[in-house]
Amino acid sequence: MTPIDTIDTIDTIDTIIKEPPAKFKKSIMVIPPIIAIAGILFFIFFATSAHPEKAWLVYLTNFLFFTALSAGGLLFSTLMHFTKAKWSHNLAGIAESFAAFFPVSFILFILLFIGQDHVFTWIGVDLHGKGIWLNIPFLFFRDFIAFLILYCLGFAYLYQTLKFRLKNAGKETWLKQFLFRRFEKTPHDPEKIKHRMTIFAGWYMLAFALVFALTGFDLVMSMDPHWYSTLFGAYTFIKAIYAGFGAIIILASILHLNPNFSFNLSSSQLRDMSTLFFGFSIVWGDFFYSQFVVIWYGNIPEETAYIIERTMTSPWKWLAWTVFIVCFIMPFIILLSRKIKESPWCMIVVSSFVLAGLWIEHFLLLGPSYLDHEYFVHNTGIFPISISELIISLTFLSLLIIAILFYLKQFPELLKKGSGEVVQWK
Amino acid sequence: MTTDAIIVTGLFKNQKETLAAVEKIQKQGWVVTEVHSPIPSKSLAKALGRKKSKIGWFTLVGGIIGFFSGFSLAVFTATRWNLIVSGKPIVSWIPFFVIAFECTILFAVLGNVLGVLTQVGLPQKDYEKNYDPECSGTLYGIEVASTKENVDSLKELLSRAGSLKGQRENK
Amino acid sequence: MSQLTFETINTTVLNTLARPGKIYWCIIALLFAGVVLGASCWAYQIFVGVGVAGMNTPVHWGTYLINFVFWVGIAHSGTLISAILFLFRAGWRNPIARAAETMTVFAVCIAGLFPFIHLGRVWLVFYMLPIPNQRTLWPNFQSPLIFDVIAISTYLTVSSLFWYTGLIPDLAIIRDRSNGIKKKIFKILSLGWSGTTGQWLNYTRAYMLFAGLATPLVISVHSVVSWDFALSVTPGWHTTIFAPYFVAGAIHSGLAMVLTLSIPLRKIFKYESLITINVLENIAKTIVFTGIIVGFSYGTEVFISWYSQNIIEMETFRWRAFGHYAPEYWIMIICNTIIPLFFLLKKCRTNVIWLFIISIFVNIGMWFERFVIIAGSVAHDFLPNAWGHYRPTWVEGGIMLGAFCLFFFLFLLFVKHLPSVSMTEMKELNHKTE
Repeated sequence: MTPIDTIDTIDTIDTIIKEPPAKFKKSIMVIPPIIAIAGILFFIFFATSAHPEKAWLVYLTNFLFFTALSAGGLLFSTLMHFTKAKWSHNLAGIAESFAAFFPVSFILFILLFIGQDHVFTWIGVDLHGKGIWLNIPFLFFRDFIAFLILYCLGFAYLYQTLKFRLKNAGKETWLKQFLFRRFEKTPHDPEKIKHRMTIFAGWYMLAFALVFALTGFDLVMSMDPHWYSTLFGAYTFIKAIYAGFGAIIILASILHLNPNFSFNLSSSQLRDMSTLFFGFSIVWGDFFYSQFVVIWYGNIPEETAYIIERTMTSPWKWLAWTVFIVCFIMPFIILLSRKIKESPWCMIVVSSFVLAGLWIEHFLLLGPSYLDHEYFVHNTGIFPISISELIISLTFLSLLIIAILFYLKQFPELLKKGSGEVVQWK
Repeated sequence: MTTDAIIVTGLFKNQKETLAAVEKIQKQGWVVTEVHSPIPSKSLAKALGRKKSKIGWFTLVGGIIGFFSGFSLAVFTATRWNLIVSGKPIVSWIPFFVIAFECTILFAVLGNVLGVLTQVGLPQKDYEKNYDPECSGTLYGIEVASTKENVDSLKELLSRAGSLKGQRENK
Repeated sequence: MSQLTFETINTTVLNTLARPGKIYWCIIALLFAGVVLGASCWAYQIFVGVGVAGMNTPVHWGTYLINFVFWVGIAHSGTLISAILFLFRAGWRNPIARAAETMTVFAVCIAGLFPFIHLGRVWLVFYMLPIPNQRTLWPNFQSPLIFDVIAISTYLTVSSLFWYTGLIPDLAIIRDRSNGIKKKIFKILSLGWSGTTGQWLNYTRAYMLFAGLATPLVISVHSVVSWDFALSVTPGWHTTIFAPYFVAGAIHSGLAMVLTLSIPLRKIFKYESLITINVLENIAKTIVFTGIIVGFSYGTEVFISWYSQNIIEMETFRWRAFGHYAPEYWIMIICNTIIPLFFLLKKCRTNVIWLFIISIFVNIGMWFERFVIIAGSVAHDFLPNAWGHYRPTWVEGGIMLGAFCLFFFLFLLFVKHLPSVSMTEMKELNHKTE
């Protein structure tokens, strides 16, 4: 089967037949699984201890954070395709690798309901009529369907776009084999494939907005069932896009800096990506401020209790200020500089800080609903984030890394120079 | 530039030819003082050795001044009578941030305009010196510095490089 | 696009600046008559009092605020096209950028008139400005209405400067191709621009900075306008989604107005080679996008009003759909979210008649959206005893007509005396694509 419309040069005789497997350092392949297994055991131990709600709080925080990050990563590729952007092909290829986390996220979502008694703070609370919406079966069902639809659309898009990205009919990775067997049966018209990609990209982006709005309302806002904010859904998916873009920058910069891979990021590409990231830091700040100023100004106790607890009481206010500085002030000032935007090392540092800040933000929104105020009054000096939280978060991070590594190992051409530079989008 | 320096100008059809001509002229040792073009061109700017624009600094300084002015205006006016209005603190940063933000943009833009006036050099009364009206329309005009003696050879060089209209010479 | 050269771009646009015919002057006279009518209504209101307008307890904000928000919204998409799409390097914006930016400047001017009209005692407008006075009285900068004063003045200043800066190279083109008085006028207007490399280098940097500054300005200005409502406690107004919702709605209505303006412009001035159908199609696609955002906002508000289980919130939204102003509500829903979906069909997106008709519907829908939000929320808030209705009077109608006439009057004057397509940007696009 001939590759479609490729203008990339074929490297050596060997690669015509077989793409050499990606060379990953042994430590990268071994450490994440070890951490993951250890972490899972630790979580089970933690969740069966005296404070299971603390364990499930961290689980939920990490689940939401990494799901948002991975869906936002794939969104970059769909967005670039939909708007017919020409500058980002190899970046989009890397961005698509985040979709490998989707099955993991889906399983984690299902497993979340093992701890439903501890996860959902409104169980047994008088919901004044909200019960038909906030009950476990309906919530599970609608969020299950939502994630299913989102992930299926994502995979449908990925399936089409891989027809352009996979160059050689490599027989050494089983996923590629499977895909190529299917590709052979389908038509090879590039225009038709691009059209399908556009349709799936559009539906994915719409589903992304709706699903993250829904899960934002269901899995975060509902944890304080008497509070509400109409912007919360949109705020959730803006956070997801912000996180996803930051993750793409980190991954792309790491691959660019790694001498083992010929993946190359031009300085103008990195600058454009960083500018997009900068733009989203402002959008995130704007959405945050929009909620904050309206609730602050109206001063209605029904709404302000939530905000006061999270931004003005100890210990949460320290987290809140950290989030604000790290996710808005710091990137705003630092990313004004062109040189920093073009430097992979600087961008890795800045993006990592921002992602850490967004993680803390997810934790901050949920935390006070689980950890009663009394808890901190009686145990002064306790900081809500401790070693246990870090271990479980590292576990989730390892799962993400394993998923991405799996994807990149299956499709090694994404790591080569000029990956994705196949078709001129018109 | 010496007092008896003469500027010889030539007109060219498009950017490619202009760049080629500039290269040719510079290789022969002449100094190309200016190129008039209907649209901006980064390659022409590089060929003429133009330095990066400083306007960004005007804008940045303007923005910083605006940010502090906005807050100062709001805080100053609020503290004149120290009245509590609708239960909000007298100096409340959250709404004042909006004023500061708008003033930041306003002063940054004014800084930008100041930058344009000073760096772009507008308004300019004597723009017509060495300027052909076609340069705003479709053609590119090259100005080369020369002394009285070399004017003719320079004119010939320009026409060999592809210049269209008759070369003018001005002081 | 390939048959365009610098010269054809120049001549196509410069031909539009030829002496206008009788029909043009007749239309101008008609529009001017509309402006005078509006001004007379306003003069009547100043003389008799703002009570001649329909605002009364409980609805204190009527068509003046509706029109204010409407025109600010239209201004926004002009800046979206000229500034935001510039930052995204979307070449399809080049043919319409000039007309869009002009639309912004005029729309902001008209929007700024409405709070002034709404004042009633217009001679007291200086109360809103931070002018030192003997009594050391200052505006209350905590108030969203004062945010508005600062934001709209900033927006007007920035848009005008951005618009004028963008015009300078084109004014030089006109200067170089005209004689006599016209040459003298444009010589002054173009400030001696001669297109040297140094000038271009600084100019492009300044333009990029303008665009970079105008973008957050656009978002903040309409957020500030939305906070005029959201920072209150009225149900239907006090909701956090207003800022992005209003910005998206503004762009939605503004893009529709761009279509409404540029389709006749394109036909009359024979701009088909410059403003290609592809440009119009891209505007239509963006309208689908903003329509989806607006629809999402409608749905979220309704859902959260139920979720809140707050009887007042629930009643507000029930009444919006089924109460006294239900027709206006359903016009809003259908015109803003359902009709733009026709643009998903390529046939609709590429047919100028469909484009024009749908753009009119979107404009109507967006006007009614502001009506539903502004008049509809206050008419039916907390106490049933305080519920009431609002109906605009002939004075308000006259002023609204005058405002629309003023907008088209200014725009028509513009298209015949200044280049309505940016020749410089078209040449840049042409140069890049060849």
